[in-house]
Amino acid sequence: MNRRFFLKLVGMGSISIAAGCTPDPYNQPRPDKTLYSLVQAPDDMVTGDAAWYASTCRECPAGCGILAKNREGRVIKVEGNPHHPINRGRLCMRGQAALQGEYNPDRIRTPLLKENGHWKPITFTAALSILNDRAGEAAKAGPDRVRMVTEVVGESLLGLFETSLAHWASKGPLVFEPFAYESLKLANQAAFGIEGLPSYRLDEADVLVSLGADFLETWLSPVEYARKFKTMHAISGGRKGRFFHVGPYQSVTAANADLWLSCRPGSEAVLALALTADVLNSERATSLPRVLRDDLKNFVAGLEREKAIEVSGVSANGYERLSQSLLSAEKPLVLGSASIAGPNALQADFAANLLNLALNPELPLIDFERRHRVEVADSRSDLAVFFRTLQQEAVDVLLLNNVNPVYALAGSADIAAALKRETPFTVAFSNFMDETAALADLVIPTAFSLESWDEYGGTSDAVSTLQPAMGRFIGAPHIGDVFMKAALGKTAPENTYKTYLIAGLISRGLVRNESDWLKTLQRGGIFEANARSRPFDPAKFDAAAGRRLLASLSEPAAGLTFLAAPSLRFFDGRGANRPWLCEIPDPLTRVAWQAPVLLHPDTAKTLGLKQGDLVRVSSGSGQLEAPVYVTPGVRPQVAVMALGQGHVEFGRYAAGRGSNPVALFAAEDDGQVGMPRLFAEGVQIAATGRVVKLANTDGDRTQHGRKIAASVAMESLASLKQSKLNGLTMWDFPLTLPLPEGYDPKRDFYKPHDHDGYRWGMVVDLDRCVGCGACAAACYAENNIAVVGGERIVEGREMAWLSVERYVDAVVPEKITFLPLMCQHCDNAPCESVCPVYAPHHNKEGMNNQIYNRCIGTRFCSQNCPYKVRRFNWFAWEWPEPMQLQLNPNVTVRAKGVMEKCSFCVQRIKEAHNWAKNEKRTIRDGEIVPACVQTCPTDALVFGSLMDPDSRVRKMVDDPRAYQIMGYLNTKPGVIYLKKVVQEV
Amino acid sequence: MNELTFDRIDQTVLDTLRPATRRYWIGVAALAFGILIGAACWIYQIFVGIGVGGQNIPVAWGTYLINFVFWVGIAHSGTLISAILHLFRAGWRNPIARAAETMTVFAVCVAGLFPFIHLGRVWMVYYMLPIPTQRTLWPNFTSPLIFDVVAISTYLTVSSLFWYTGMLPDLAIVRDRAVGVRKKIFTWLSLGWTGAHEQWRHYTRIYLFFAALATPLVISVHSVVSWDFALAVVPGWHTTIFAPYFVAGAIHSGLAMVLTLMIPLRKIFKYEAIITLHILESVAKTIIFTGLIVGFAYATEFFIAWYSRNPVEIFVFAWRATGDYAIPFWIMVTCNTIIPLAFFIKKVRTTIAWLFGISIAVNIGMWYERFIIIITSVGRDFLPNTWGLYRPSLVEFGIMLGSFSLFFFLFVLFVKHMPSVSMTEMKETLVEGGDHGH
Amino acid sequence: MAIDTYIMGLFRSEDQAVAAVHDLKNSQWTLHRTHSPIPSRKLSEALDLKTSKVGWYTLCGGIFGFFAGFALAIFTAERWDLIVSGKPIRALVPFVIVGFEFTVLFAIFGNLIGFLTQTRLPRMQNLDHYDERCSGAHFGVLASCASGQQDGLTDLFRKNGGDVRVFDDQTATNER
Repeated sequence: MNRRFFLKLVGMGSISIAAGCTPDPYNQPRPDKTLYSLVQAPDDMVTGDAAWYASTCRECPAGCGILAKNREGRVIKVEGNPHHPINRGRLCMRGQAALQGEYNPDRIRTPLLKENGHWKPITFTAALSILNDRAGEAAKAGPDRVRMVTEVVGESLLGLFETSLAHWASKGPLVFEPFAYESLKLANQAAFGIEGLPSYRLDEADVLVSLGADFLETWLSPVEYARKFKTMHAISGGRKGRFFHVGPYQSVTAANADLWLSCRPGSEAVLALALTADVLNSERATSLPRVLRDDLKNFVAGLEREKAIEVSGVSANGYERLSQSLLSAEKPLVLGSASIAGPNALQADFAANLLNLALNPELPLIDFERRHRVEVADSRSDLAVFFRTLQQEAVDVLLLNNVNPVYALAGSADIAAALKRETPFTVAFSNFMDETAALADLVIPTAFSLESWDEYGGTSDAVSTLQPAMGRFIGAPHIGDVFMKAALGKTAPENTYKTYLIAGLISRGLVRNESDWLKTLQRGGIFEANARSRPFDPAKFDAAAGRRLLASLSEPAAGLTFLAAPSLRFFDGRGANRPWLCEIPDPLTRVAWQAPVLLHPDTAKTLGLKQGDLVRVSSGSGQLEAPVYVTPGVRPQVAVMALGQGHVEFGRYAAGRGSNPVALFAAEDDGQVGMPRLFAEGVQIAATGRVVKLANTDGDRTQHGRKIAASVAMESLASLKQSKLNGLTMWDFPLTLPLPEGYDPKRDFYKPHDHDGYRWGMVVDLDRCVGCGACAAACYAENNIAVVGGERIVEGREMAWLSVERYVDAVVPEKITFLPLMCQHCDNAPCESVCPVYAPHHNKEGMNNQIYNRCIGTRFCSQNCPYKVRRFNWFAWEWPEPMQLQLNPNVTVRAKGVMEKCSFCVQRIKEAHNWAKNEKRTIRDGEIVPACVQTCPTDALVFGSLMDPDSRVRKMVDDPRAYQIMGYLNTKPGVIYLKKVVQEV
Repeated sequence: MNELTFDRIDQTVLDTLRPATRRYWIGVAALAFGILIGAACWIYQIFVGIGVGGQNIPVAWGTYLINFVFWVGIAHSGTLISAILHLFRAGWRNPIARAAETMTVFAVCVAGLFPFIHLGRVWMVYYMLPIPTQRTLWPNFTSPLIFDVVAISTYLTVSSLFWYTGMLPDLAIVRDRAVGVRKKIFTWLSLGWTGAHEQWRHYTRIYLFFAALATPLVISVHSVVSWDFALAVVPGWHTTIFAPYFVAGAIHSGLAMVLTLMIPLRKIFKYEAIITLHILESVAKTIIFTGLIVGFAYATEFFIAWYSRNPVEIFVFAWRATGDYAIPFWIMVTCNTIIPLAFFIKKVRTTIAWLFGISIAVNIGMWYERFIIIITSVGRDFLPNTWGLYRPSLVEFGIMLGSFSLFFFLFVLFVKHMPSVSMTEMKETLVEGGDHGH
Repeated sequence: MAIDTYIMGLFRSEDQAVAAVHDLKNSQWTLHRTHSPIPSRKLSEALDLKTSKVGWYTLCGGIFGFFAGFALAIFTAERWDLIVSGKPIRALVPFVIVGFEFTVLFAIFGNLIGFLTQTRLPRMQNLDHYDERCSGAHFGVLASCASGQQDGLTDLFRKNGGDVRVFDDQTATNER
């Protein structure tokens, strides 16, 4: 062919190729099916690189700082903000699961207007105009005809709400928070003269007593307090602080106590008073100011400790030990009742304050300057009253901002009735069709916290900023903008909420100017080191108020008492539609997806019930059905159920699962005391004859005398140092590092093998692990682990790479050890040699790789894994739209029929390698942080190279507590555990 | 057998090749249907996922591998009978050798299916073969599963060749008596065998080598199968007696299956004169022996577990005998070791009904032995928090039904269309009491 | 020149056949081969046959297989050097199994090849001078003689108590 023809040909060819590339203009290419390259990328977005945005977690009122990881325009992971004073870079499992609110398949996409019982999607503009008209009319009709109930929000937003409502000639919003700590606030009011929620310096205490406060689960600020707790309670310098937990059931917090005193529900107050008496009768009291001492003496006058012990039903010996520890304590701290107020919670909180005063009237460990934001919440009774009087009061428009009273409030039937009626015209600002939204007349989804400009101070000393970490996913406006448009309209001080927000902060003198604002954003907020609060002035103590309060102290009721426990997974129930939180089993029962009712073996025996029996629990106010879980972790004559499940609405993951304990509670009382009564006395439990297969992931609760979750007694720590093991059995097999030095001709058949530069390993300090399960959630988020659902878990098909196992002492069942268990990355990994195709094999850096696309699914590796930490894809798992947008692009989504397991977050290791290579250096110790390590609130996990003599892990394995699970199999695991230190207190 | 003559032997055997009855074909059709059910279940599993079975973590192996080991076990006595007994010149082997070898070949075929069914991604099964690719991905020759691939495929090849070679002279006999199409087919099959002295001279020799090589092969193959378990660290698997224990078990189950097959065959094909009671009795006696070995193995396992003072081992075995799977365990013990002892009684081992019944019992017992080994060990291994149980699903039962149907389907077809008793060897038995000369 | 006629004596008993073979040996007629339904030691003694050499094929096959097995295992392991369970890349112990199985497999192949080559099987067509009774109950002894001398040969067979079958021009006329 000649040149011209050739050129023609080439031309035609290239044109035809080009033509092939252009997408068909007639049908829109689906984003998930089509690859786009950005013509003009946003300056902070580099394809393949993550952009991190500092923001604030709004999954609970604690207000932890987060960094949202954005890849190609979508948030794929949230991690704690290291600069943030509250959580110091850590996050709980609920924080990790914030993503599943953002990408929840049941998220409402457009405003919904109810027309004769049916939802009609409308535009946001339409919704806003409806809101505008309705509220406008109401405002014209008269004062206080537009009312609002909101969740706890930041100052700026709250201010905007007030302005807007004022514009509608109405009074400000009620702030509703299911866990509002009314009792604690009232007790503080009575004792310290401040109705607020000061924060506590747990970290400085040497003896800590909790009268039920579940500060590792939900109480005030769990991530912060978990960290502080471990600061005082982890082994350091051969000693650790003492922690006593007093309460009728064993929460995760109680499971971490050195001694759990199981007392009758409602008897905590009496105990605290008795302890106060002990203190006052000791020489400690001599240092007390006379006035205060006399006042306190009056409180405990005529209260014998024997009586108290008998009433509360604690063991005398246990009480004695608690009392002694307190008397001998240098910096004791007593915390009040749980997030969910049980019987006499108010009195318990007050008694706790009294005890604190008696122990040290200056209250050095209570920080009155640093208050928890949740204190702005109105008392439960105010809300109850408000909703009850909704009929009488002429309210035309009711605005609900992300609250779910119909689920949370006892006796919510009449609230539901009130919402159902024509007037008031109820507008629910909610991203999910929950029980309350379902009854509203108009539902307006608003921007999710990860899409918003906002500000929120979890504690009074910090202002924490929110910024959009991704584009608005459903185009919903921020609620602030809604109010600025709908309410203020032309009269709005600024045209967007963002500018309003900045202006507000500047006027409050928190930021100086725009650029300062940008710096603040980068940091994640304004965190000035809070000045040490002045010592408490005992003169402030007002005995009269206290006397009134203690007057209502009631005797523990006879019969079966039913308690609702705050849930580490679902908080007050708002987490129930996050599949990760449902899938990750409860730390103590190891039951996922279901909400069993916990009974003591004796109680179960007397009622003739077995594990898994479906029972009907009924009180005067209502009834519910739940499977029985038998555990010595609750007191006889007490039935406990975690709050959070039993939704009737709220999406596919929440609706119709478990049951809501609130059903058993009497409607909120008239507000004399001002706090909810979230318990039911004298309940009936009857078997239904049906049996439920519990979706628990644990095979057996005890260790059968094996070296798995090992612990060492404080006193024998010293002897541990000397002992050098050199045997071949489970108990005397030495620690064999996964390094050439771990080779011993006596034990090894093959010569040792070397590693290339690094030998990655992890050290798990069981003494620091509190069992909160944040690591598991982080692992789900980072590694695209499938959620399989309760039915599959019953079949034994859960996919968790990392699970925090719970081992119960065979002799003393309330002694519990938590064991984070993941792939041990053995040097002599049994899984490797049995695979016919090398799918699992040892890489140059000592990790045990699993090559998914090489795996053919013989499952021999799992059979041969002594730790059974491998997970198999029994089916093709699904990520319902748009859940798949959360998937980490750096991690393969595993196909049906292949094996998978913990990879030590190999994608992060590779990333670190790239950085190191670019900078021509080796990887620094601590540079690689796997997801689980990153989020652990108590630093129980440490990752690094065992080959590096200076790495932290290498130093930690020299700790005499170091051991390997089933080390005697000579698998030489790369995960090394440090024994838990148990102390007799 | 003195009333037997060459002609009579030929007559009896060739009679069985006469055109089949309607009832026969109905039976074949029924078996074919069973195969279809199994196939359907498998296809369903391939599309939906292994999860349709009962396996889980920790018990990631289920009936598929139970049946695999079961069928491989069955497959053993065939070659064993014809090879080892040939070397020992045990005359009573000759009448049943052919059927036993046939059983072997078909059992291996069925067994060979199960690893495929078991795989999570069967469409990637070729990863297990050393196929040169430009990515130079090779199988892992330290894996017991690759040992299996090598051993089982070798065993299938060798035992089928052994079986076919042994059949050559008989095929010639059929050829010489047949007419029309069958004549053509058998001419082709018999490779032009004429029984010329030159042919016999080499034939007897290679047959001897076949026997000599097949014998260690039989031992090795089931040892290799046992190492699928013994090479794992799992308590209850990781033991050195597994190889002999499995071989004995295999022979045990194989002999039982021989009885199970021979007794109806003998009845239907009127083989009474050829497969005499004396022969069945000899099989029964051997079953006593293998049963005792198996029983001894059970005892040894428990003793060693106790002797090791390893809590994990001790627990697993205690749990086997008393735990959730105690019933299967005791079925296993009873059927495999106790019931066969009844053969000590002459009356029992010479009564057809008893022979048949007990052979069935042993088959069941041996299936449960594999169940106990495969399920119970991982169900209660090192970390109690991982413990779990296993129950086969309907799909698994469907596939199991399919496998049994397939085996009997092939066997029934064979015995009707091929000489199911070796006429040549019977004639030898007449002349010189049973060995292949030399 | 005379065409050879092939005559087969068919004997019901092994001993008759053996006798016939002996007679043939010290007669002028040429003994071609014997057909028997079973391998007969007496016959092969009478024909003083040496034992087959086919075993050498078997041996060679075995030796080849042994090395092939190890070679394959080692080669593949070397090509993709991945450490598994702390074993060295060239972990000989496990490779013994491959070696063993291959030994047996290839020994059998050698065995078979030996047989087929030695006996020149398979042969499908023209089984010439073969009587189908030989696969049943008869021992056949095939001899040939010049066309004139058939009677003598038949007598010899008859004397030894066998039927006689004469093959002339590949058309068997069976006289009794």
